[in-house]
Amino acid sequence: MSWDFISNLLLASVRMATPLIFLALAELYSQRAGLVHIGLEGLASIGSLVGFLVSLITGNPLLGVLAGAAAGILVNMIYAYATITLCAEQIVYGMAINIFAPALASFIYRVYFGAGSELVQVSLMETLASRMGITANGFIAKLFLDQTPMVYLAYLLVVFTVIYFNRTKSGLNYKAVGEYPKAAATLGIDVIGIKYTASVICGALAGIGGAYLTTCYTTTYVDGNIAGRGFIALAAVIFGRWNAGGVLIACLFFGFCDALQIRLQVGSYNIPYQFFQMIPYIATVVVLAAIGMKKAGPKSCGKPYRKEEL
Amino acid sequence: MKNTKMISLLVPIISVILAFLIGCIIMAALSANPAVALQALWKGAFGSVRNIGTTLSRSTPLIFTGLCACFAYKCGVFNLGGEGQFIMGSVVCTVIATQCGFTGLPAIIICLIAGAVAGGLWAMIPGVLKVYRGQNEMIISIMMNYIATLFMGVLFTNWLRDGSVPQTIAVPDGTRLTRLFGLRATSAFIIAIAVGLIVYYFLFNTSKGFQLRAVGFNMTAAKFNGFAVEKYFLFSFLISGMIAGLGGSAEILGTQFFLINGYAAGYGFDGVSMALIGQLHPIATMLVAIFFAALRVGSTTMQAATGVPTSVSDIIQALVIVFTVAGLALVKLPEFKAFTDRVFAKKKEVA
Repeated sequence: MSWDFISNLLLASVRMATPLIFLALAELYSQRAGLVHIGLEGLASIGSLVGFLVSLITGNPLLGVLAGAAAGILVNMIYAYATITLCAEQIVYGMAINIFAPALASFIYRVYFGAGSELVQVSLMETLASRMGITANGFIAKLFLDQTPMVYLAYLLVVFTVIYFNRTKSGLNYKAVGEYPKAAATLGIDVIGIKYTASVICGALAGIGGAYLTTCYTTTYVDGNIAGRGFIALAAVIFGRWNAGGVLIACLFFGFCDALQIRLQVGSYNIPYQFFQMIPYIATVVVLAAIGMKKAGPKSCGKPYRKEEL
Repeated sequence: MKNTKMISLLVPIISVILAFLIGCIIMAALSANPAVALQALWKGAFGSVRNIGTTLSRSTPLIFTGLCACFAYKCGVFNLGGEGQFIMGSVVCTVIATQCGFTGLPAIIICLIAGAVAGGLWAMIPGVLKVYRGQNEMIISIMMNYIATLFMGVLFTNWLRDGSVPQTIAVPDGTRLTRLFGLRATSAFIIAIAVGLIVYYFLFNTSKGFQLRAVGFNMTAAKFNGFAVEKYFLFSFLISGMIAGLGGSAEILGTQFFLINGYAAGYGFDGVSMALIGQLHPIATMLVAIFFAALRVGSTTMQAATGVPTSVSDIIQALVIVFTVAGLALVKLPEFKAFTDRVFAKKKEVA
């Protein structure tokens, strides 16, 4: 194994971990307010389609990401209304979003481009280095400079999340809603309001995670391009024990598996490539099986909250 | 009591109507005449005996994955892996049917059973990990779907590839299921209906079925009453996987005959939404499966007649689930109950 192989692998890991970080943070913000969301896959798919379309039309991938976030928020408001106001079961409604949003994304794509159209491509977001007009040479320079702005944003968000949940009053209030909503309400915390805020954050981050794939990673949109990342992100939240630092490590690990899979595929001709593609999924199962029990998630997760009658 | 039953029937019906309304708005926005489109949709799905046969044939795999989801949820476990179990059933069935060289009824039975066993074993992976490792069965079963799909890919691009075409060799004529009255529907449909009736009988007319539902209804209470909850979880995973696996082999022997890219894509989630719309009732789930199949078959005719893309049927389908689940939650709210009570009370006063 050459240094070239390893350094490329590590750089690819950072790129592949980024969408997972956005998605896992989306899940973290949702669960910290007591809302388990298994519909990330769906939110990401609509985010990825809208991000793709807007970046194609405007020629500006950053606008695409913003539009992806907006689309994620819009679709997640359906989830929020159903689970918070109507007290629908969160798991079931997450599933409904997983069915609805990809169907919507695929339909919009068909209508916009017509059936059987050729593959349309967009230009990807520039990396910091190319924006500054320099060429990054060497591993360190590539790692820190040759990245899209989204990568920096992801890491900033992780740092912000750690500080927010552990060091600020507002963050503690937020967490209280996920742990003991009734107690939080008696302290004057607006439980419903925080749950809706959480859904906005979750929708935006999941939409960005999806849009990352079509604005920073591949130049096209295809149905099913999220490829289970929404669920892998869920696993990352469990693996990271519901705190942003742990979640980051988990995402880097899963990103590494994804990068490894691609690198191994390129180098091997005798083994069917599908076996390499299985690596991230098998890794997820193995990791979950290895960490085993110990429920550590927010205690009110999955339970509907109803305001006490006066 | 009668009231709740009526509401649980009304909610999906209203959801379907709402979904179709939005579907019509979309069609109109695409400058197609919704009336013409809906007519074409109906004609395509039920317009002739031949079309009905096609609809029933399309509904067959959906019935299996719907029952798979239904059975697991009745016991309170979320098996989202119907697709992977369906595919593994198909894979094992294809391998046996093409490699063993035997034909006739015994061969068909062996293939079907092998498919069911394969599906059951595939489902046991999330089941065992849930029970013994306390893990989230939803994530695991989804991961197993991707692994199964990729494994199927190995077969049709490599191991069982049919010459230069990226699909597996077809199962021999002697192992194919017979068609019903020369239509597209095969005896696989009969098997699907039979499985549905057996599931219904088991869940609602046997003591084991009652216990299984009790576990699903309130796990803690069942535990306190001395039920070995874990056993029921494993059992329901096994059976639900077997149903999906049987569906996979029946689909291969009945209509598909070979594995190809995109085979069974989405069947698992379709199954979940059918079970949820059918409110975990096996018979209702089967009816929803036929409805979904009709939408799909009819949408092809609709596309030919009006140019509305077939994927509008996916949107309608997705809207039905979005509305139904929200509607079912809505009617459970105390405010809604108070509202209906008031309405009924007023009616009585008038009477």
